[in-house]
Amino acid sequence: MQDLSWFLPSWPPVFGELVRFGALLVAGLLGGELAHRLAGLPRVMGYVLAGVACGPHGLGLMQAPLFAGARVFVDLALGLIVFELGHRFDLDWLGRNRWLALAALGESLGAFFAIYAGLLYFDYPPLLAAAAAAVGTATSPAVVMVVAHDLRASGQITERMLLFTAVNCVFAYVALTLMLPFLHLENESSWRSAILHPLYLLGGAGLLGFFGCQLLLGIAKWLGKREDRQFILMVALVVLMVGCARALQVPVVVALLVFGILARNLDDDHVLLPLRFGYAGQLLFVVLFVLSGASLDFSGLESVAAVTAVFVVVRFLGKAVAILALGRLSGLRAGGAGLLSLSLLPMSGLAVVMVYDTALLYPRFGAELAAVVLSAVALLELIGPLATQFALRRAGETHPEPRAGEARAGT
Amino acid sequence: MAGMDFSASQSLSVGIEIELQLVRAHDRDLAHEAGDLIERLAKRKVPGEVKPEVTLSMIELNSSIHTTFAGALAELEAQRAVVSEAAGMLNLGLCGGGAHPFHDWAERRVYPADRFKSITKRYGFLAKQFTVFGEHVHLGCANGDEAVYLIHMLTRYMPHFIALSASSPFSQGEDTSFQSSRLTAVSAFPLSGHMPFVPDWAAFLEYFETMRGYGIVEGMKDFYWDIRPKPEYGTIEIRVCDTPLTVRRAALLAGYAQALAAWLLEERTRTPSLSVYQVNAFNRFEACRFGSLGQLVDPFARRKRSIGDDILETAAAIMPQAARLGCVDAVRELSDGVRRGYSDSGWLRERLAATGSLPDVVREASDLWARPSPAS
Repeated sequence: MQDLSWFLPSWPPVFGELVRFGALLVAGLLGGELAHRLAGLPRVMGYVLAGVACGPHGLGLMQAPLFAGARVFVDLALGLIVFELGHRFDLDWLGRNRWLALAALGESLGAFFAIYAGLLYFDYPPLLAAAAAAVGTATSPAVVMVVAHDLRASGQITERMLLFTAVNCVFAYVALTLMLPFLHLENESSWRSAILHPLYLLGGAGLLGFFGCQLLLGIAKWLGKREDRQFILMVALVVLMVGCARALQVPVVVALLVFGILARNLDDDHVLLPLRFGYAGQLLFVVLFVLSGASLDFSGLESVAAVTAVFVVVRFLGKAVAILALGRLSGLRAGGAGLLSLSLLPMSGLAVVMVYDTALLYPRFGAELAAVVLSAVALLELIGPLATQFALRRAGETHPEPRAGEARAGT
Repeated sequence: MAGMDFSASQSLSVGIEIELQLVRAHDRDLAHEAGDLIERLAKRKVPGEVKPEVTLSMIELNSSIHTTFAGALAELEAQRAVVSEAAGMLNLGLCGGGAHPFHDWAERRVYPADRFKSITKRYGFLAKQFTVFGEHVHLGCANGDEAVYLIHMLTRYMPHFIALSASSPFSQGEDTSFQSSRLTAVSAFPLSGHMPFVPDWAAFLEYFETMRGYGIVEGMKDFYWDIRPKPEYGTIEIRVCDTPLTVRRAALLAGYAQALAAWLLEERTRTPSLSVYQVNAFNRFEACRFGSLGQLVDPFARRKRSIGDDILETAAAIMPQAARLGCVDAVRELSDGVRRGYSDSGWLRERLAATGSLPDVVREASDLWARPSPAS
């Protein structure tokens, strides 16, 4: 018999990244639906659990290299999310409602200093405590956006949750970047890189966002008010900006957040239509959560259980103080401030990325930071979406009925 | 008959109710935050009254009782300022117009109050499709018979009010080709239409009792008529108007109604006629579809003419009464608009042509609402 192996693949076949990527999507999708239908949990939790199951601590279908290789998808997904988040950031509102501006700033400061103080109490070195506090200040933009979208939430708590998340993400990045000089000096780098590096990171990301915005507004003006054209344009520019930020080694999240914020607030001629990423966004959300689920590490949880618990609790309290103090003044109804604080609980892929990027610069410091932060991420990745879902439902801002043709949870 | 005694009020006094759209800043779609806004307003001194409506996307402003349209305008203007400021704190826009141009009715959420819940339970999707925004003008009547007389006589002029207030050209993201698409949403209700042709208040009460006996209605609120008596206020309520784009225009319409009613009460050259109701559906459609360019069949004069011409002729006739009631400016401003071919619907269409998108139209309409109206 003639040898036929010339057209058959080697055994076992070599499945490339694409197959694994597709499989991840399917796993995430199924995980999300199962979580939603069987237990009425937010779909996000299902995505994350599917990631945990497939990851190195589960079935081992994904190893660390894939995570590194998949970083481009993580950046893309995060870029799209923070761009949309930035696009909801309304400076006019903050101008009209100063109490709100104060509350948003207070929320970030409160979370930062609460975590910082908490970690100092556990005798962590100040720089590490501050870096961990910076990372912990950010609410997961992806979780709040996805949960709000899934529940079709709309209202004061929802709007403020998104606004505060945008503010605390910017705050977190700026704070973490401003710690670089100390880190550089501690590691005996030159004073020039100690000063110029953070300037480059923030200034570069800001400028990139600004150029992106100018490009977007210019092309959109020429295209006119056509939803389909503008959709392609926005996705294209988000991809372009993510690529540029990676190439220029400036933080993707900051660049895209600035891009979104400026696109919203510099659009004086009102050339942009309201933004709806719809299904395209959903696709990347699934990837993001599966990947961040796969990167979760519960193994360290036991050894740092006390620190993690304190981290999570003081973070929540720190966030809540300013919101509770200024909630009524800024126009929240009774009971709204507590729910808003709760909705801001999630931590997720963004924190992982911040830790990961710090580790690229200083592996040893990065490892220490990871040990402190990632256990909290692991915990909040799971309870955060629940908190947000509970808060938005309790606030009465979610749509009471499922979409036509969609099964109710639990049926 | 409990609650159906006609409490006398000062003849020709006016009161205005306007239903307003509540829109989100980021995409200009309808918001669901009437509850937050009303709670915030509860803490401040607001002239008149602010009330919830059937869905969480609307609020209703009520004026007090006024003898002149200028007084009503001043109060509405003060109310507009306070409510706009409170809405700004919540990043909400307020907007006139009879319908939101592109909202999806299925997205509407019902205000958590028993009356609204029972309306939704009874009428199903009609309740959410009823997310339309009207102005109601109350006219004081000395007694029930005067109310019945005025309702019959004013019915002939309802196309005027439809054309002058028309501000709902778009619905569900499309140009309806109508000047007022809102009234078709009202027509779907079984108890819409007009009051039966009864000779006086006693006969009306008999009709009402019959309907109540069958369990069809519980109170006057259950009738969605174009003009209905409101015995507990001692008024009749003109309900065909779309909410105009400015408080000023809302007050002008009240001034026009006041002068017209005064003229009808004084002249008494005609008597109520059933033929008005025979042609009513035709006239009403013409006004909704074409505004002041529509045709109006006048069964008294037995002729057909344009609604715009009919408004101009009526405006000239009622000037003496308008002068006495201090609403010459109102009548003149409205008729000037008719001559120029102005309508709020026309303005909205023009803004769509200029900006190219319905969210922009909503943004411009809420900016227009947010600007103080010039005093009269």
